[in-house]
Amino acid sequence: MTQTLSLTSSASAPNLRAALRRAERPGRLGALALALPALLFLIVTFAAPIGLFLTTAVRNPEVRDTLPQTAAALAGWDGDGPAAPGEAAFAALLADLTRAKEDNTAAALGKRLNYESAGMRSRIMSVVRHLGNFKDGALAPQFAALDPVWASPDLWAIIKRNAAPVTPYYLLTAVDLQQDASGAITRVAEDQAVFLGILGRTLWIAGLVTGATLLLGFPTAYVISLAPARIAGFMLLMVLLPLWTSLLVRTTAWVVLLQTDGVINQVLLALGLTTEKLQLMLTRFGTVTAMTHIQLPFTILPIFSVMKSIPEGQMRAARSLGAPPFFAFWRVYAPQTLPGVTAGCLMTFILSLGYYITPALVGGPRDQMLSNFIATYINRDLNWGMAAALAGLLLVMTLSIYLLFLRLVGAERIKLG
Amino acid sequence: MNTMTLERRRLGDEPSPTPAASPMVVFERVQKTYDGRTLVVEDLNLAVRRGEFLTMLGPSGSGKTTTLMMLGGFEQPTNGRILLEGQAVERLPPERRDIGFVFQNYALFPHMTVADNVGFPLRYRGIRGAEAARRVAEALAMVRLDGLGERRPAQLSGGQQQRVALARAMVFKPKLILMDEPLGALDKQLREHMQIEIRRIQQQLGITMVYVTHDQSEALTMSDRIAVFNDGRIQQLSDPVTLYDRPENRFVAGFIGDNNTLPCEFLGSENGLAFVRMKDGTRLAASGPAHPARSDLTVSLRPERLGLDDAGSAENRIKARVLDKTFLGDRVRLTLEAFGTERLVASLPAAEGAAVLPGRDVGMAFSAADCRLLAR
Amino acid sequence: MWLPAYATRSERLCRLAVVLFAFAVLAFLIGPLFVVFPLSVSKDPFFTFPIREYSWRWYADFFQNARWMHSLVNSLVAAAASTLIATFLGTLAALGISRPGFPARKAVMALMISPMIMPVVIVAVGAYMFFGSLGLTNTRTGLVLAHAALAIPFVVVTVLSALSTYDSNLSRAGASLGAGPVSVFFAVTLPLILPGIVSGALLAFAVSFDEVIVALFLTGADQRTLPVQMFSGIRDQINPTIMAAASLLTTVSIALFVLLNLIRRVKRA
Repeated sequence: MTQTLSLTSSASAPNLRAALRRAERPGRLGALALALPALLFLIVTFAAPIGLFLTTAVRNPEVRDTLPQTAAALAGWDGDGPAAPGEAAFAALLADLTRAKEDNTAAALGKRLNYESAGMRSRIMSVVRHLGNFKDGALAPQFAALDPVWASPDLWAIIKRNAAPVTPYYLLTAVDLQQDASGAITRVAEDQAVFLGILGRTLWIAGLVTGATLLLGFPTAYVISLAPARIAGFMLLMVLLPLWTSLLVRTTAWVVLLQTDGVINQVLLALGLTTEKLQLMLTRFGTVTAMTHIQLPFTILPIFSVMKSIPEGQMRAARSLGAPPFFAFWRVYAPQTLPGVTAGCLMTFILSLGYYITPALVGGPRDQMLSNFIATYINRDLNWGMAAALAGLLLVMTLSIYLLFLRLVGAERIKLG
Repeated sequence: MNTMTLERRRLGDEPSPTPAASPMVVFERVQKTYDGRTLVVEDLNLAVRRGEFLTMLGPSGSGKTTTLMMLGGFEQPTNGRILLEGQAVERLPPERRDIGFVFQNYALFPHMTVADNVGFPLRYRGIRGAEAARRVAEALAMVRLDGLGERRPAQLSGGQQQRVALARAMVFKPKLILMDEPLGALDKQLREHMQIEIRRIQQQLGITMVYVTHDQSEALTMSDRIAVFNDGRIQQLSDPVTLYDRPENRFVAGFIGDNNTLPCEFLGSENGLAFVRMKDGTRLAASGPAHPARSDLTVSLRPERLGLDDAGSAENRIKARVLDKTFLGDRVRLTLEAFGTERLVASLPAAEGAAVLPGRDVGMAFSAADCRLLAR
Repeated sequence: MWLPAYATRSERLCRLAVVLFAFAVLAFLIGPLFVVFPLSVSKDPFFTFPIREYSWRWYADFFQNARWMHSLVNSLVAAAASTLIATFLGTLAALGISRPGFPARKAVMALMISPMIMPVVIVAVGAYMFFGSLGLTNTRTGLVLAHAALAIPFVVVTVLSALSTYDSNLSRAGASLGAGPVSVFFAVTLPLILPGIVSGALLAFAVSFDEVIVALFLTGADQRTLPVQMFSGIRDQINPTIMAAASLLTTVSIALFVLLNLIRRVKRA
């Protein structure tokens, strides 16, 4: 439809658009109705769970739920002042902790407050242990007798601050920042600043893997695209087959290959390339090698499908116009492969960011990526807030590159096999 | 389907017209837009007569295929009404219109045999078993494909596939058959053969056909009437001879056959003839719709209607210089310079043109009827 | 090799090097897949080559061990169930998305595809938390739902690609011949896109059958799948029975892959 007629009369245009909408509505709704079950299913089983999980990164229920009276008593207290709050606050805390002891919630509270300031857990638990020893009369001195810190405002300021329903604590920690006693945001101490390092490591490993797959994949895709149909089909099978094999099996294979007594070391020794066995397991090299192996098909396939579509005649034309071979390749052929390179590399980078199994099984402690830390916070530390904050970080990176992918490549261009 | 139509008739608020006189299809002020800004079909009013072969002819994007799709029920008009035998069908889905449709690429079901393809519409009309088999065989015989029922579409040639599509569209005896460039994929010889075949079947069955093509010779060969589409409008609706001899505007003149288009000025009319002045002052007698003094007038002159000046009865005689001569076998083609610096083309039988030499002046003559005065 | 006639000598050398390089990369790709097979039939419990003595003892171990067998059955059941859900929902969605008037196609596609690119740990933890609140952790239902969500994009993409080669005039032809939308779907569309749907189902099966992380979080001892059983085994002490399990998984993958290619070939014929 090239020679459509432009409407000059602006008055009828809105009517036309309305008429068009009216005429098209049943078709649109019918199409949407078909996709709706899958959309709802994905929202309920996929999007909503992830969203809910991410909110735990800012949720702060412990102080609010466990110390309601204390929170109320501290509401009127000036947390920035030099003095600890009045007797009422001590009484409220005592009442709240008595209740907490019965409900078995004191430990969780202590753990939560300990994130804010080391030592809080033992202070809370010490009060809980000595609940029976408190006597009538002024409470402040009795608290101070357990730990002199109770007399200073800092500790109370932490309780007051965390009475809020949301906290920036986990998110700040995930990027190595903290809120000091006065509420100002500062960098954490050098020895505690680990998370930016993990983030950088995750990006670095994903980048290394992407680079390695491109380096290995580009020439391979090129050769496959040039090979005669029969051989090319066979070569493609060799690219597709690993894609179908379980990621766990491929990782297992690398565990076996990389072991100190493994196949690679045996071969290297037999060939005399090394005189002693190399440490390959639990190394960055091993992790990146295994990940490169797993991701290689994702990079090769889009590049191959773009190369396949470049007409052969173009290189002939470039040569007949006088371009030397390398120049013809670099100036005529390579730029046209860019869409495939972009698609393959972005996909590999996105997927590499989220790796868990391979670093967990092949990598050492210094090769663990964000996913591994998220799992550890859930499984070992039961620290949901921290896990959610790190997940948020990982998700932001993944989604930004996914959006870039959608923009540059488009979801409808994804092909499988 | 049939009971449904009857009920609708009974309920209709207008008295039912006599079937023979009423048109098969009526488009009433039909508009179509895909994007809400541009109209693909601008304001269509068209009546298709019972039993006629009507061709919608036009360049791609002219709205002809969209019109056909609206009639078939695959597109909805944005505005306006479409009446099929007097019933409004804009909201009626295609499967309840009882219209046969032959698609550009045939749209044969590749997973079914030829017989299953042709028998497909019978399944949905409650015709089964021996009766269905008989109807299928009959339809295949009609398109001269007897005995190929067990083949798959992929095993047939393009021409055979085309015939299957035709058999499938008529096996259920629809009231109307629509065809969307059905011969576009065939080579020239086969195409000309199929043109005659389709016309034969149409006349044999007395069925109404609406045919879409961009091929003017196909339209001229097959049609009872031709609707020429451009820019979402019908430019002219008439029988092939009228369309060729008396185009009503410059688009039709240029689209159908070859034409010399020359600017001119309107002087006046007399005895049914129009008089015009060419650029160099030459006066010509012309025919055509009477035009007031418009500034964008031209005369159109077909190359084969220009003859050597043999002192016959033609109203117009001019002198021209022969710039070039091309031999085409049965004819010669002359490139001429006349009316000052205008170029025009003339086509003469080879024997007549033998004596004409490039570089010489030559006298040409043509009748006022062949010199059409047209506005844009 | 595969060079135009006008190639120069240095170009030929260059090309030879690239071709050799490509085959080395292919060897790198395919080699590790076949490491597990010989080790799974080696009598030695150590993973060393050359293999001195062959034996099926690790397979016997696998098939006689109740825990391994239980996990194999769990995997098959979960994969079959999630394949059914994903194939049904994904096919329906692809049919809708491929319609010309589909609203907000880009956004819907972005959401539909996202399970494919989402870090699986995030999916797993999210499901663990959400399903936990519904009492669906340590149930097969929870695992099946989560796996179906992960598999849906694979079905959507394959069925969409099947639909992209489907000529919509065929549906129009069906309608013009008197078949209603449902009849057209079952008589014309479905038979023609069936290879795409089956490919999508095979992929969905593979996605669920091979998935480790979500299963790690969502299953208890009773629903433990084969990959989870393997994963814990590798973490503790890698033993040759794991090689037998890995070989079986690989065999299933290769079988699915061969099946897929057969379907494609039939479709082309």
